[in-house]
Amino acid sequence: MDKDTITLLQSKAREIRSHVLKMVYKAQSGHIGGSFSEADIIATLYYHILKLNPQKPKWDGRDRFVLSKGHACPALYAVLAMKGYYGLEELDTLRQYGSLLQGHPVIKTPGIDMTSGSLGVGFASAVGIALDEKIAKRDDYQVYTILGDGELNEGIVWEAAQTANKYRLNNLVAIVDRNKIQNDGRSDDIMPVEPIDKKFEAFGWKTLKIDGHNMEEIVSALETARNYQEGPVCIIAYTIKGKGVSFMEDDYYWHGKAPNQEQFEQAMKELQGGAA
Amino acid sequence: MKPIAAKIPTRRSFSDRLVEYGAQEKDFVVLEADVGHSTYTYLFGEKYPDRYFNLGIAEMGMFSTAAGIASGGRTVVASSYGVFITMRALEAIRSFICYPDLNVKILSSHGGLTAAIDGATHQATEDIANMSTLPNMKVLVPADTAAAAAALEIAMTTPGPVFTRLMRDPLFDIYDKGEKFVIGGSKTVRNGKDVTIACYGDMVFQALEAAEILLQEGIDAEIIDMYSIKPYDQKAILESTVRTGALVVVENHQKKNGLGYELAHLLLSNRKYVPFTSLGIADSFGESGDYYKLLNKFGLSSGHIAEAVRQLKV
Repeated sequence: MDKDTITLLQSKAREIRSHVLKMVYKAQSGHIGGSFSEADIIATLYYHILKLNPQKPKWDGRDRFVLSKGHACPALYAVLAMKGYYGLEELDTLRQYGSLLQGHPVIKTPGIDMTSGSLGVGFASAVGIALDEKIAKRDDYQVYTILGDGELNEGIVWEAAQTANKYRLNNLVAIVDRNKIQNDGRSDDIMPVEPIDKKFEAFGWKTLKIDGHNMEEIVSALETARNYQEGPVCIIAYTIKGKGVSFMEDDYYWHGKAPNQEQFEQAMKELQGGAA
Repeated sequence: MKPIAAKIPTRRSFSDRLVEYGAQEKDFVVLEADVGHSTYTYLFGEKYPDRYFNLGIAEMGMFSTAAGIASGGRTVVASSYGVFITMRALEAIRSFICYPDLNVKILSSHGGLTAAIDGATHQATEDIANMSTLPNMKVLVPADTAAAAAALEIAMTTPGPVFTRLMRDPLFDIYDKGEKFVIGGSKTVRNGKDVTIACYGDMVFQALEAAEILLQEGIDAEIIDMYSIKPYDQKAILESTVRTGALVVVENHQKKNGLGYELAHLLLSNRKYVPFTSLGIADSFGESGDYYKLLNKFGLSSGHIAEAVRQLKV
């Protein structure tokens, strides 16, 4: 695998995390933990996998992306700004009145393909977007979606998984951000969800299990999924909530809390130290 | 305009027109939640198998999936029963169809107590309140076969989400085939000078019957079919009510947050302080039973309407 690509993606992921930290600190509201756990995947999607044209956000031939775990939108907003869908200064307005960047993704924001945030709905909508490509008898773009592992509690996920199998949506790739923590605590305590791979396989999906912070594995899995022709693919990415800041890692407190000034400075030091 | 027994229910008429419309507009698709043989969308599926998607007993998923399809600009007709549509899938419809203002056209069968034998679980008696409250949503309630066919046309040609409440059983035909209906319009189906009766759906026929009873007593009722609930014909209501000097609203729906509440608000806001009452389901659930028995039990029969007018005119 190309070393330069991996280095670039690692640096973009660090940049995303830095933006997320600043955004949530400024807004004093937002979801850092899940944004950090998905950051390496988001960086890989936007800097290596997705076919996009930030100058034409609605370009018809683009790959589609739906962040089904919509609460983790700070990472998505950051990467969209980095790609030039809007200015980096917009990131300072997260969750504020009149902002482009709503608390959960809205279709009006440049680069956002689908409104999401009510868990499970984004995934089913991604299935609809993929189905629409089949209806149109097209075969020129892929549909990607990221779900949380807690999100798998929602019945709607399995309803939509059935639909994806029924219509053999080989244009659809779902990534489960398996960070093992949801709002109220550890996912396995709140609602046991494993074996995720066997469940999706039973629903007719191909599955891949990866370390969601290993760039080589992320790139390899997404490339494999993109080229798979037989049906929908689910990548189960084992991740760490809050990845990148020692005191945030694997602690459910950081699911939806904003840091104070001291925590912000400490976290930023760690993120920038990692960049050195 | 003389009511005659209908040969088909409004759900069938809407779906029949849907099949015809499929020939002239080739891009839209139909989603169904496993009640296609009841809503008659299966007729569309037989004719256009590539444009018909039965997504199983999964209403919330179906409407979210409809949102995804529609997010790219394709019009979607999504079908199920009113209770599942307007409650189980309510959030998907609100936040992911209405909020992004997508072209999803909802075929909602079993409206009000017309799902008589199915019982309360299948009777959508809060559907108008739920749907009318959603920004961007338009709400139609055709009263008969011709109006239901027209409702399909209105839904397909009006931008954004449109909800159409349909009935389970064939009742009465009021309009001639080909009668014209428009979004935001109304039909004065009987001219009168003593009282205005505003109603929709199956209540139009009950109101017409009530007018016959009242005529015997020297009361001349004007009846307005409010087939477009949102937006609705404010001008027609204000003009008629000012002229007759009284308004009775009749609906096969919860009284609370229904058309009656809306029209009372309209009158008050315009300082038209006329005698007013509304008939509807009084904060209770429906039940299984013969349609006419239910109308009697819940105070929605022609006799009840006539009595409400008498009380108002005292």
